[in-house]
Amino acid sequence: MSTSTTTRRPDDEGRGGERRSGSALGFWAGAGTVFQLESRQRMRSRGWYVMLAVWFVVTALVAGLAAWTAGSEEGFGQVMFELVIGFVLFFGLLVAPALSANTITGDRAGGTLAILQNTLLTPGQILCGKWLAAWVSSLAFLLVSVPMIIWAMTYGDVYLPAVPVLVLLTAVELGIACAIGVGISARSARPLFAIVASYLVVALLGLGTVIIYGLSFQLVKGTAMASEQIWPDDPWDDVQYNDQGEAVDAHGEVIEDQEAYFAEIEEKAVMNYDGQDFTCGKSLSRITVYHTERNTWLLAANPFVVVADAAPVKPRAAADDYYGEGPMEAVSSIVRQSQRGAAAMDPCLDGVKQPVVDETDLAGTAPLWPLGLGVQVVLAAGLLESGRRRLRTPVKKLARGSRLA
Amino acid sequence: MGIQETQYDGGAPARTPEAGTGVVAIGLARSFGTVRAVEAMDFTARPGEVTALIGPNGSGKTTLLLMLSSLLAPDSGSISICGINPVDDPRAARARLGWMPDTLGVWEELTVHEILAMMGRLYGASKADAAARAHELLKLVKLDEFASRPARVLSRGQQQKLSLARALVNDPQVLLLDEPASGLDPGARIELRTLLRELAGRGRTVVVSSHVLAELDEMADRAVFVAAGRTVSEQRVDDAGTRGRRYAIEALDREALTDALEHAGIEFTLPAGTRRAAAVVLLGSEAEAAALLRQLVAAGVAVVAFAPAAGILEESYLRAVTTSSDPSTRPTPAEEPRP
Ligand SMILES: Nc1ncnc2c1ncn2[C@@H]1O[C@H](COP(=O)(O)OP(=O)(O)O)[C@@H](O)[C@H]1O
Ligand SMILES: [Mg+2]
Repeated sequence: MSTSTTTRRPDDEGRGGERRSGSALGFWAGAGTVFQLESRQRMRSRGWYVMLAVWFVVTALVAGLAAWTAGSEEGFGQVMFELVIGFVLFFGLLVAPALSANTITGDRAGGTLAILQNTLLTPGQILCGKWLAAWVSSLAFLLVSVPMIIWAMTYGDVYLPAVPVLVLLTAVELGIACAIGVGISARSARPLFAIVASYLVVALLGLGTVIIYGLSFQLVKGTAMASEQIWPDDPWDDVQYNDQGEAVDAHGEVIEDQEAYFAEIEEKAVMNYDGQDFTCGKSLSRITVYHTERNTWLLAANPFVVVADAAPVKPRAAADDYYGEGPMEAVSSIVRQSQRGAAAMDPCLDGVKQPVVDETDLAGTAPLWPLGLGVQVVLAAGLLESGRRRLRTPVKKLARGSRLA
Repeated sequence: MGIQETQYDGGAPARTPEAGTGVVAIGLARSFGTVRAVEAMDFTARPGEVTALIGPNGSGKTTLLLMLSSLLAPDSGSISICGINPVDDPRAARARLGWMPDTLGVWEELTVHEILAMMGRLYGASKADAAARAHELLKLVKLDEFASRPARVLSRGQQQKLSLARALVNDPQVLLLDEPASGLDPGARIELRTLLRELAGRGRTVVVSSHVLAELDEMADRAVFVAAGRTVSEQRVDDAGTRGRRYAIEALDREALTDALEHAGIEFTLPAGTRRAAAVVLLGSEAEAAALLRQLVAAGVAVVAFAPAAGILEESYLRAVTTSSDPSTRPTPAEEPRP
């Protein structure tokens, strides 16, 4: 070995100490290098490509199966598109903790974390680089699903304004799941613990919110007085028939042109029909209602609710036109319905007529997703911050039974 | 060769580097829960010297080096790395130090060159500078032919070299090496020794921990002995100085040998646990050794071997750990003193 190869740069001697002191490594330079370290390793492992291939096959199967069931039905593109999005979100939430929860505990176990910590990197840079790397790899799964999204769009009826919103929010949700994983990973001493804990937190958002919402129904249970709905006269009710089943007039005479008469009645009936045109009876009876306007917020942090609720909904011709409603839209309308609460449960509460609203009409309900996204961001940021504290060196308190190196 | 010994009495180290250079640690203590890994350690390493940190397994060497390398905060005591307190300003300390852990961590999928280049960038070097530095270092540790292989295929010894190169990436003023020679073949050990001597020759502060004494004999200028979390003694390995070295003497007839030694009035011990008819004597100088040999031969003792009993550091190590209070660190085989 010869040290003559360790040539010193000319400017090294004089200000050698200063040149490399604290501030020499910019935040993004450091985080970027950590990102590269992570990504290069991932891109070189075979398992990664196997996972992507399996993912592609499974999403293609789901889309294909859906397309086959629907045949060439029109208006199916929206359903298929939302199905693919829902699927990517569901499996993405399963993959993201796996991609992120081992990034720091794995380095800890492998002895490389201490090496990183011994460079000029700050804990924030390590976390940021690892989080970005995990996020970008989870986005690869979204990218692999793009052909299926394009397939759905070939049906021609996909509501275009919803596309970027659904895709973007799905990406954001994956980022949040990765941040949860990385934060927990930085906190934990053992890889298995980090992975299980990350899955639990993600499951708490995805399933736990729904379960808690369901359980909370007991707390929002109440009673209300309701009366029956009284509808105005229906022209058909006035039509009288003779024994032969022929329509007769007020004097019992058979009407000559039966067909024209029926058409006239029908026209009158359609013209008069109005979903709002009822009155409420005077006799009240006690019914059970659930004030879901008080507990719907529990669903806010659910990733599916956040994504579905943020997307604009295709305007519909009529209130009861469910045709072409995809799974994400269904989630959104269920949530909005729940937000309206008890008032929307019975049309005649306390003998007072309640306005009947179109389910897909968003007016009158505040969007829930900003709250949900906010809660998720606070949770993820909190976990990252507590992870950052654990990565600080020199280490004061070491987790029991763990070594630095 | 001889040894000049300073026994510790708990005060400040006898030789302190000038302010702002090398490594000075005073009164360090660190425990993990109830385990007191480091109880009271003083440690000094001067620029231009290789300082050996010697102690049995579990004596706290790694813990001390972790504290010096700014990764672990001491419970008490103070540290100075080139005049910087790593607890207050770890980043500034890290810019000046290189640390080679005893556990080898590698990014398995990355190539050897990539690992070094990335590490260089983590010290703020530009992409081109870091790549050039990586090449330089690979040549230095003779890993250049493995530059484009993934790190996972390296043998333990090669990983060790990579780890050493990694510790040198920022051209550190202070180099802390935790058991760097374990896993190296004899050739690589000699290369390591040469490299560390050259680094010291260029004014760097080099600290090497080990429990294998033979490998430190030729490379260290000074040795700090630790046992059971305490600094036991600190000594300088000099070309000249006071003597005191043990010689092992073997003869065909054990009785004749012991009789002759008693006759000469020289204290000796008979190490237990060896089959050989050997006696160990403590002699003040090489001249004394030559005289004793002449005397024994003249007395008709059939001497078959007459040589230093152990490496120079092993000598001091045994003395250091036997005088320390912890019985578990006593050397084996036990020696039974004789008149
Ligand atoms: N993180 C830790 N938690 C608990 N005990 C530890 C930890 N690190 C070291 N020890 C204990 O401290 C003592 C010193 O360990 P170490 O510094 O690794 O010794 P050495 O490097 O000299 O072999 C040992 O008894 C070891 O078991
Ligand atoms: Mg050790």
